[in-house]
Amino acid sequence: MLSKTTIERVLTAALSTGGDFAEVFVEDKTNTGISLVGGVIENTVSGRDYGVGIRVFNAFFSVYAYTNTATEESLIETAKMAAAAIRNNKKLQISALHHVSIPNKINPISIFPETVDKRRKVDVLRQAYQAADTYDEIITQVTASYMDSTQQILIANSEGLMKEDKRVKSRLAVQAVASKKGEMQSGYFGPGSGQGFEFFENLDIDYYGRESARIAKSMMLAPYSPSGKMTVVIDNGFGGVIFHEACGHGLEATSVAKGNSIFADKIGQQVASKLVTAIDDGTIKNGWGSANIDDEGNETTRNVLIENGILRNYMVDKLNGRRMQMDVTGSSRRQSYRFAPTSRMTNTFIDNGTMTPNEIIANTEKGLYAKYMGGGSVNPATGEFNFAVMEGYKIENGKITTPVRGATLIGTGIDVLQKIDMVGNNLSLGQGMCGSLSGSIPANVGQPMIRVSEITVGGREGENNA
Amino acid sequence: MRIMLDKKFVDKVLAYGREKGLKDMELYYSDSEELTMKVFDGEIDNYSVSKSGGVSFRTHYAEKMGYAYTEKLDDFSVQFLVDNAMDNALIIDSDDEERIFEGAGEYKTRDNKIDLEDRSTQEDKIQGMLEMESMAKNMDSRIQKVQYCVYGELIVKSKIVNSKGLDLCHQANLAYTYLGVVAKEGEEIKTGMSYRVGEKFTDLDTKAIAKEAVEEAIAMLGASSVKSGDYPVIIKNNAAADLLEAFSSVFSAENVQKDLSLLKGKIGDKIAVDDLNIIDDPHMEKGFSTRFFDDEGFPTKRNEIVKDGILKTYMHNLKTAKKSGIESTGHASRGSYKSSIGISPTNFYFEPGKLNLDQMIMEMSKGLVIIDLQGLHSGLNPVSGDFSLSCYGYYVEEGKIVKPVNQITVSGNFFQLLKNIERIGSDLKFTLPSNAYIGSPSIWIQNLSIAGE
Repeated sequence: MLSKTTIERVLTAALSTGGDFAEVFVEDKTNTGISLVGGVIENTVSGRDYGVGIRVFNAFFSVYAYTNTATEESLIETAKMAAAAIRNNKKLQISALHHVSIPNKINPISIFPETVDKRRKVDVLRQAYQAADTYDEIITQVTASYMDSTQQILIANSEGLMKEDKRVKSRLAVQAVASKKGEMQSGYFGPGSGQGFEFFENLDIDYYGRESARIAKSMMLAPYSPSGKMTVVIDNGFGGVIFHEACGHGLEATSVAKGNSIFADKIGQQVASKLVTAIDDGTIKNGWGSANIDDEGNETTRNVLIENGILRNYMVDKLNGRRMQMDVTGSSRRQSYRFAPTSRMTNTFIDNGTMTPNEIIANTEKGLYAKYMGGGSVNPATGEFNFAVMEGYKIENGKITTPVRGATLIGTGIDVLQKIDMVGNNLSLGQGMCGSLSGSIPANVGQPMIRVSEITVGGREGENNA
Repeated sequence: MRIMLDKKFVDKVLAYGREKGLKDMELYYSDSEELTMKVFDGEIDNYSVSKSGGVSFRTHYAEKMGYAYTEKLDDFSVQFLVDNAMDNALIIDSDDEERIFEGAGEYKTRDNKIDLEDRSTQEDKIQGMLEMESMAKNMDSRIQKVQYCVYGELIVKSKIVNSKGLDLCHQANLAYTYLGVVAKEGEEIKTGMSYRVGEKFTDLDTKAIAKEAVEEAIAMLGASSVKSGDYPVIIKNNAAADLLEAFSSVFSAENVQKDLSLLKGKIGDKIAVDDLNIIDDPHMEKGFSTRFFDDEGFPTKRNEIVKDGILKTYMHNLKTAKKSGIESTGHASRGSYKSSIGISPTNFYFEPGKLNLDQMIMEMSKGLVIIDLQGLHSGLNPVSGDFSLSCYGYYVEEGKIVKPVNQITVSGNFFQLLKNIERIGSDLKFTLPSNAYIGSPSIWIQNLSIAGE
């Protein structure tokens, strides 16, 4: 992508004003996006993203500069622009670059997307559309989108690291809309993977089409959710967004290093119910959030964050690791060359417990069952989170009963972690795009079914007096 | 205005396209120069500079519009753009006619008397940020730290050039700053934030930002929940603007035509209270989305989307307008060169009324003031209009703020809310701009459902 001598000159320019670490990140990414609305292919864009990001540190101070003019002259100019923000007398020499090729153990690809005819990609959308559209008469609109990307990266730094990697991502998203008497409700599913086109060949496309239609229909016919404090059972897969929002962001070094997290200085302490073990694992084979190396060139790891309720580790990147005096965990990530990387989640989940889902429901007298979650957000300083229930039901006398729509769960991270009183044995993962400081990146969330003894549910009806 | 798009590259693309038998072709180019600074603990701890851009190519081929883009302007990309755009046109099967615009002759231009020049130096900006941080930290002993303190500026330039002779340039300048503080009393932690947006550094009132962020965090100390139930609610200007932004897509003709908006078939109908006007003004002074032509090159004009509560028009581009048999309203928009032509508002807002926030509170016998709404990307559904959002603010009794409130959610439906507005404030405020620039005054809603204790 760039020659070794060019990179060495750029790194030298980056350290010319006394910085103590410099890094070059080169990205060349091709991608295809196709969208379908109501059975008709409305839109398709193919593109090539290309650019170079240069990062310079001086102790805790960091500078980032990027450009997409990749001539040596322009890169050296960009490196000097970054360096201009640093004024330090001691000058550091860069180490000679040592190119390491890394085997693609974690995300092996069978069919690269650029080798596949676009008509076959269109067929994926049509199949998803058919499944959703024919599910029920109440379904009045279906939109679907197809996405693939192949990202080639090169990372080199003043410590002599030089690595290249190729990452492929594939995703299908289906949204079905149900309408009745001037009201609309929607259901959504978005399976994705770190595989090539083989992902779509092996995917049960009909299932995801039908499931998004089923959610829309069941919510269309549902009354508004009851509100107030109650017991909530959250099912597996994308339900793990609760851990992602309520705790995961607070365990990223980005918020821990500056003391902006409620989890700062709590390693070794009990921060969750003993039933909770939580892991961030960037090494899951072909995982949506997996990679061979992170965006600083570190190997990805399986990082146990919380073990039986005790806080064991954070997700740590190089810069924040300096402030925290902790080792990196291979989870420094960025959306593209336009962002400096920082500690982010990869595939983050609560590990399996021992109860079956049936036992959990049967042992719940009254409450809310959240079958599918929507998205959410958190304020890391206070730990206050909120997220939406996409498909919810009442639980009455140990049984799942009537569907309810429009529920929101709110609370604080540590509080909800401590109130997890049942953990199921049906762990699965769900795919999302996580937006934060270093951009929007693919991340898996996950959990088995869990029960939270008490949480505030926002909805439009009064107390659950069923 | 200096544009990085190389004329030689344009000529090569058009020549290669003609070789392939293409007639109607267009290049859309945009680039941005950006600077951001972050302050932490009395020092600049992060600094970022960039220059970047890209080009989109679209062509009318086999009766359809095909798109491709690139950020690398080399010979490989000349073929990549043309070949992929042709390939993409072939798989489109929508019958909606999208066309390349020949231009409208004369375009309005910005008043030259407005001073855009940024005379402050880098040092001024750094100093200003450091002062804002220290001011916030020292304003109240309960302020534990400044969580973030950020300044950013960007200059975005774009150019449309096509085979029908259109050749237009546009520039937008933006300077912004935001500050977040953490207040601590006992074990209780609360946060507050504030921001300003302008065209250059000197437009930003850093003192006011520090004051507002601190006051918000301090005011929230001691906050508790309220009993669940229906309450009259004043949604403060910035929160109301966030809500309007989240639902602005319901006014897009594209969503209407695709059965994704409940406003379908409602032109001429009463959709809101008599007092409500929704304005989209692309010619507004100091609007971040101020522009005299849209991303198809169509001239823009001020539109009253809702007038006296009546829905007057949707937002159109050439494609949706043609389908409805009317003229475009000048809302063609690309999120960037990476996207195809869609629809987006420009400077879009609820027109302000007469009362300021304090006067509205004085008139309230019992209710809530919501100062911030959270989870807007997940807790609401533009299709159904339903929202259920975590929020915080104040509880009001007999015209006075009685206590801060948090750990509650507010739920309702946007379309019902428009018909339930009791008062419209005078304090119009705009959000931090994204693709569009959206504003609202504080608005008083008769009744919304609050979930708390």
